[in-house]
Amino acid sequence: MSESGGPDVTQELRLPWDDDPEDLYEHAPCGYLTTLPDGTIVRVNETFLTWTGHARADLIGHRRFRDLLTAGDQIFHETHYAPLLAMQGEVHEIALEVVGADGRRLPTLVNSVLERGPGGAPRIIRTMVFNASERRSYERELLAARRAAESSEQRVRVLQQIVADLAAAPTEAEVAEAVVRAPEPAFQATSTSIYLFDAEGDQLVAVASTDPTTGNWDDMPRSSTRAVAEVARRGDLHVIGSVAEAEAHFPDLAESMRRSERGTVVLLPLTTGPADDQGGPVVLGVLAFSFRDERALTDGELRVIRLLGQQAGQALDRARLYDDARRREERSSFLARTTRALDEEHRLLQRARRLVERVVPEIADWALVRLQVGPAGLVEHHGGPAPDPARIEARTSEAIETAAPVFATDGDGLGCTVLPLIVRGRVLGTLALRMAPDRRGGRAEQMFLVDLADRAALACENARLYEQERAIARTLQRSLLAADVPGADPRFVVETHYQAAAQDMEVGGDWYDAFLITANKLAVVVGDVVGRGIEAATTMGQLRSAIRALASAENGPARLLEGLDRFCDRVDSARMATVVYVEVDLLSSEMAFACAGHLPPLLHEPAGSPQYLLQGRSAPLGSRAGDVRRVEHRLRPAPGSRLLLYTDGLIERRSRGIDRGFEILAREYARRRDAPLKGLTAGLADTLVGRDHADDVCLLCLTLGAEERLERSIGADPLQIALLRADMRGWLAGHGVDPDCLNAVLLACSEAVANSIEHGYDDDPFGVVDVTATISADAVEIRVADRGRWRGEDAETAHGRGLQLIYQSMDEVAFDRAGEGTTVIMRRHRGAP
Amino acid sequence: MTDQWVSFSRRGAAELVHLKGEIDLANANDIGRAIVARTTSASAVLIDLTAVSFLDSAGVRLLDYIVGDLDDRGKPIRLVVGERGAARMTLQLCAFRADLLATDLDRAATELGG
Repeated sequence: MSESGGPDVTQELRLPWDDDPEDLYEHAPCGYLTTLPDGTIVRVNETFLTWTGHARADLIGHRRFRDLLTAGDQIFHETHYAPLLAMQGEVHEIALEVVGADGRRLPTLVNSVLERGPGGAPRIIRTMVFNASERRSYERELLAARRAAESSEQRVRVLQQIVADLAAAPTEAEVAEAVVRAPEPAFQATSTSIYLFDAEGDQLVAVASTDPTTGNWDDMPRSSTRAVAEVARRGDLHVIGSVAEAEAHFPDLAESMRRSERGTVVLLPLTTGPADDQGGPVVLGVLAFSFRDERALTDGELRVIRLLGQQAGQALDRARLYDDARRREERSSFLARTTRALDEEHRLLQRARRLVERVVPEIADWALVRLQVGPAGLVEHHGGPAPDPARIEARTSEAIETAAPVFATDGDGLGCTVLPLIVRGRVLGTLALRMAPDRRGGRAEQMFLVDLADRAALACENARLYEQERAIARTLQRSLLAADVPGADPRFVVETHYQAAAQDMEVGGDWYDAFLITANKLAVVVGDVVGRGIEAATTMGQLRSAIRALASAENGPARLLEGLDRFCDRVDSARMATVVYVEVDLLSSEMAFACAGHLPPLLHEPAGSPQYLLQGRSAPLGSRAGDVRRVEHRLRPAPGSRLLLYTDGLIERRSRGIDRGFEILAREYARRRDAPLKGLTAGLADTLVGRDHADDVCLLCLTLGAEERLERSIGADPLQIALLRADMRGWLAGHGVDPDCLNAVLLACSEAVANSIEHGYDDDPFGVVDVTATISADAVEIRVADRGRWRGEDAETAHGRGLQLIYQSMDEVAFDRAGEGTTVIMRRHRGAP
Repeated sequence: MTDQWVSFSRRGAAELVHLKGEIDLANANDIGRAIVARTTSASAVLIDLTAVSFLDSAGVRLLDYIVGDLDDRGKPIRLVVGERGAARMTLQLCAFRADLLATDLDRAATELGG
């Protein structure tokens, strides 16, 4: 009350925070709803109506609270909210979305309390509704952030897996395979392809794709206008967000996007990173992946994509280096194996053969080596089919003229590389190869071929030098052996034979020699120098000269060997050479010999069997361990004796012991007692060692004096008549028969033997004709006997001249057809007929 | 294969055949074929036997055939043999006509050329 009579301001005065309860209810900062237990709204405040835009009249008594919720929240209301409220009597902070009058959704948080009546029955529900718009959008952001983090994490996981795969991929193909699998799990791409530059970096090759039906699957040159090549050249990541965008920049890509229904394409260059000297990363290929829909990529995704490009590029680079290293290793291994294989052969032809056989098929399908040696040159080829001869000829000439390799190029129509074989600046020849196209070109491959050519050239040159040395040694040896053996002396005949090793062996040091020391003293020698090749041939020549110089009328064999021992002190290569040296006094027929470690001479006297002369033996020349007290032996063999000197090649064979060799030699030698001397040594070599022998063979057979009686058996072969005649000529001369008589006897004897061969045996090669010649002071008598069928009537007509010659050249002629076959006995006086 | 026994040259208009070594049953046929191949159209033939160290009846038969062939064609032929030696002996024993034999190559060539 106020005494001034003014209004009772205390009555009227309301403090600002002294809210009117009604107003507070209506305009509270939250919505209030009062509903019946079934949810029917019976009271609602203004705030709720303002938020939702509903009219009070539409709600009160008409709607239930749940009717205002979204469909999903209505279900939540039925399944959670209502039961919880019924059980607990209150619920708190239930998130529900309320649908406004205009359909807008209002995120809210709801608290409700259930009021019960005195009997405990539900009476009323009071609900407080908080506006949660801000909170929900914040929550959504949180959620989106979490999802982004999750997908980023997944991307990172995928990428980590890919990086691990890349690290484990040893080859380019495996790297490509791993990279092409990345974009689908990492970015949900629809399909992916990978293009890589070839070894030379000129060609982009499509190597793998998860869906090869999309895109242009042809290889393209680096300069192509296609999008992939364009991006590869630029080296930058390109995202083509839509067909329209592609249309503007890459028409080929737009076309392909339309065809395969793609909305977005990413072209990612695979780069090695900024390691290249020229600056800027080296592009090894392009990864292309696409999305069915138009897809915007976030900065984070783009960063990861770029990272993928670098990782893949580095893996490719590593795989290429690894491939290179492996190829380098293969090449150097091939070179090493080839060099070894060539070294196994010494001869030029065989080496050239080896070379082409190594090259084909390992690195080429056809190869030809041509060497400019000798008058005809040497050509060896392997594999096929051979290329066009005229064109390969032209290329070969070019390689020789320029002394530089001519490499095959794609589309040259020949596909052959020609490498000059150069040693010490000289073109020795060429090696032509046809290699598989994928081995052509490439700097490393060319270096490899040049290296191969260098090695081949050196191997061929060495073989050529070897051949040359071998030829020189052979020539030297031949020239020493061919020196004139004394002949035309009726007191002795020397027959020699030299046979070189059949296999590709260097010349040995075997030699023979025969010379007259004085008019009446003959020396014969057979020796064997240790070793082979040009040194052995040279030493042999020196020893041969030394023996000729040391031989004298007074010295004799033992003194000569002592001289040779001293010679070895100066010429060490002569040490351990073996020599058999024989001197014959042609007047007394006395023979002196000494054997320095050599095989014993084999003597066959006219009566008896062959004997090895085991006397006069001492150690090889210059021997330090052996007994070099030189001894000699003297003997006087009967006239007509044959002495055989030989080297070990004649009797030594791997398949039999040396004793057996001696045995066989003696037997074969005895068997040929009656064979003509001419051809005897060659025949022995033929029988004992055959054609396929591993060692040189040297023989010398000396016949001394004339036998009292010449006995020969020859095969029924016209060629044998000349051999018989040679023996008989020597025998007749040895007995001092004058030339007219000698010629007459030779003619008659030849005619008689020819008659036996032609008529007695009718040219049966197994027939044998025995010839015996005896001589006395006044006459020569020849008997020619065959065991064939005599057909004298033929002889009278067709070969009358032969018989006529026999009658005319001999003094007495008789035919004896008493036994088997026919014997002609012919006699001629030693004076003129 | 007969080169070791027979070789050929020209002497004026005459075909000159050089024989050497031993001619016998074993090689006479081959030598004969080689000679005939060269002399069958020759207008004159000289056969030099001075280097022959042996001649048997097969060799005589071969020479006889060649002489007969040239005689038939009316072409001259001379066999040059040394003063001595195996070839002369055999041919003399077979009594070859004296007009066929000559001892000097140059003189025989002159005779044929004239």
